[in-house]
Amino acid sequence: MAEPAPRIVKCPACGKDVSWKPESKWRPFCSERCRNIDLGAWATESYRVPASAPPDPTAE
Amino acid sequence: MTDPNLPQEPPKNDPDAYDASSIQQLEGLEAVRKRPGMYIGDTSDGTGLHHMVFEVLDNSIDEALAGYCDEILVVIHPDNSISISDNGRGIPTGIKFDDKHEPKRSAAEIVMTVLHAGGKFNSNSYKVSGGLHGVGVSCVNGLSKWLRLTVRRDGKKHFMEFQRGVPADRLVETQNGVEVSPLKLIGDTDKRGTEVHFLADEEIFGHVEYHYDILAKRIRELSFLNNGVRIKLLDQRSGKEEDFAFSGGVKGFVEYINRSKTVLHGNVFYSTGAKDGITVEVAMQWNDSYAEQVLCFTNNIPQKDGGTHLTGLRAAMTRVINKYIEETEAAKKAKVETTGDDMREGLACVLSVKVPEPKFSSQTKEKLVSSEVRPVVEEVVAAKLAEFLLEKPADAKIITGKIIDAARAREAARKAREMTRRKGVLDGIGLPGKLADCQEKDPALCEMYIVEGDSAGGSAKQGRDRKFQAILPLRGKVLNVEKARFDKLLSSEQIVTLVTALGTGIGANDFDIAKLRYHRIIIMTDADVDGAHIRTLLLTFFYRQMPELVERGHIYIAQPPLYKIKHGKSERYIKDDHELNQHLLKLALDGAELSPREGAVVIAGDTLDELARAYLLAEAVITRLADYIDSQALHALLAHDVELSLADEAAARASVERLSRAIANGVHVEARFDDKTERWMLRVEKTVHGNLKVGHVDEEFLLSGDYKQIRHAAQLISGLIGEGAVVRRGEKSQGIASFAEAMQWLLAEVERSLTKQRYKGLGEMNPEQLWETTMDPAIRRLLKVQIDDAIAADEIFTTLMGDNVEPRRNFIETNALNARNIDV
Repeated sequence: MAEPAPRIVKCPACGKDVSWKPESKWRPFCSERCRNIDLGAWATESYRVPASAPPDPTAE
Repeated sequence: MTDPNLPQEPPKNDPDAYDASSIQQLEGLEAVRKRPGMYIGDTSDGTGLHHMVFEVLDNSIDEALAGYCDEILVVIHPDNSISISDNGRGIPTGIKFDDKHEPKRSAAEIVMTVLHAGGKFNSNSYKVSGGLHGVGVSCVNGLSKWLRLTVRRDGKKHFMEFQRGVPADRLVETQNGVEVSPLKLIGDTDKRGTEVHFLADEEIFGHVEYHYDILAKRIRELSFLNNGVRIKLLDQRSGKEEDFAFSGGVKGFVEYINRSKTVLHGNVFYSTGAKDGITVEVAMQWNDSYAEQVLCFTNNIPQKDGGTHLTGLRAAMTRVINKYIEETEAAKKAKVETTGDDMREGLACVLSVKVPEPKFSSQTKEKLVSSEVRPVVEEVVAAKLAEFLLEKPADAKIITGKIIDAARAREAARKAREMTRRKGVLDGIGLPGKLADCQEKDPALCEMYIVEGDSAGGSAKQGRDRKFQAILPLRGKVLNVEKARFDKLLSSEQIVTLVTALGTGIGANDFDIAKLRYHRIIIMTDADVDGAHIRTLLLTFFYRQMPELVERGHIYIAQPPLYKIKHGKSERYIKDDHELNQHLLKLALDGAELSPREGAVVIAGDTLDELARAYLLAEAVITRLADYIDSQALHALLAHDVELSLADEAAARASVERLSRAIANGVHVEARFDDKTERWMLRVEKTVHGNLKVGHVDEEFLLSGDYKQIRHAAQLISGLIGEGAVVRRGEKSQGIASFAEAMQWLLAEVERSLTKQRYKGLGEMNPEQLWETTMDPAIRRLLKVQIDDAIAADEIFTTLMGDNVEPRRNFIETNALNARNIDV
């Protein structure tokens, strides 16, 4: 095969395998539904990363 | 051949029979031929053509429903004529003496030639009946070029042929002084049943050709709905043959629908019941797809558009399942409200009702409108469904889980839509106030720095080249999750700001990369763990929601320096620890020399450089492995050039011997045979603060690059240092007893001679510094984010977000560790 096999990623919402190629319209998601679930999570501030304690404003 | 609406060939031998009364009945079928669409469905797209088969088939099914028939054969002949035969009672062949027609006709002939004739209108013969259009087989007769009827009954074979609905070759005889026209007797038989063989008229349908699959689909339905009535379909055009004998009723039908899908729960819900003469049968099972497949039937006829039976089902489901979800508080835990629509995702359902006199919204019966059906369906489903949920808690849990998932997805999509519709996101009018835009308008020349934190944003705004560099300060929102645990997130407000600044819009239908306002989007965060986390968050967002930006190489990561080193008069910014170590080593070796022993040749320049690098690399390996194998033992390998082997027991014991001699007291080494791997290994034990710490040296380690690195350095420095060894740098010198001491002295000397500033955040740099280290295109180094980097970011993010607490904590600790190392 001349074309290298496309990269396979996991759909971030449901874990299904998704080929990274133009035909996978919703990449890295498997479907519009999964992509919307993710965008909804951003919109509702559900995604967080750990942070260190904020500087104590009274200590200034 | 000129007027298709008139019978072409009047009966030949008895032209006189073609009298007034004949005209009467011919007018009926003539109407059918004039407006065939009204009776049989569309004659141009194949619908009507296939209905011809179903119409005849329905008579046989009715016999089956009445319990007189259990086998039906449908044959598609090579000339696309169709024959349908059953083993039912056979259409009555006796003469109807009350017939107004002359001669008086047989019941069979009347059924075949008079609209709305037949047993179906007598509720004693058939309680409920199908019939796609209720017009009966006479329509099929009228629309066929020819039709041959064979009735096997009472030991005789009766036969009659029609051409375009008109009896051909009519037999006329006198019975009891009355002129009658019975069917012809063509032989004896011990079988019974009706056989109808017809060729649809090309004048009506144009092209006559049947699709096997259309017939097969309907026949399968009929078999399921009529509890296993056996229908054989034989296509003589291709030789294909299929036996449809699907028992299990609607339950079997649901299992059939789900046959190639992944069902979510094992037990199919099933309920049946009857009230007020209406019979209801329903089965449901959810699969893992998102599509709904609900098939509704009234008296075996499918309703594509549902109707009152479906409304009843939906009402019962919504009421019962919502009540169950409420009682189990499943939705409360998930913080969503479920609706009836959420219950339809992945639902496979067959709903079949039998109604005495059903009313439909149209001729094609695609929607049931009989209002009396709804409450009966609701009642039959509701009680049984509530019972099912209680008796099958495992199924109930899975079903409600699926419904809650659907509710969540619907809610997420709504929230996402709300955000993407927010003012400014789409129209690009009104750039966010926080954005310090650049003067250049050509996106290809523009870049935007995404800077976390307001103070850093301020420095960046002052330090930038405003001609082509825009600055967008983003501020993560910090939440106190638990007592000493904080989380950071991007508010939806911030995401809207980001998307508005980019200009592309967001979401499935709105994202347009052509509207991108900057071809370089540079993420600039602090060089600490918090900064790394924010960067991960942003990269994950781009990767998931705007992957095109990553694919096209629009995303970059700025590389702000971690240190500033002042040595004498020179200043230098250092990116990370690796670069720092390299730089310190270079300074340390500058003008250094080593006299390894009294009177030996002095080592300096490249030779010393090579020795030092090998040694420091080995040291780095030992530090890294310290958690797995005691560092004292590893240092012994390096300092005393100990070689290990685990080839066999003797080699392992010899290795123990050599290593033990090289290690000081307090560390115990012994050879052990590992039963699992069936290999020899060294067990290294050390007691630290009363705790026993155990490490293993196995064959894998001996084959590793780490071991090679240590061996390489050990061989280089082995036996190098002797009596009177001295290290010098500039005017200073120091007597040493090992190569390690020489390195320690050199590095300490350098550390003393320079000042090192570590930047804890971007905010610590003034605008000029930020420009000259991180933003000046002539000097700065940018990291272009590749897809693999973005995938890695997503993986890190998933770990951070994961429900699994352990990997999350490990991850944070590992990163914290790295951060600590930076301080060294």
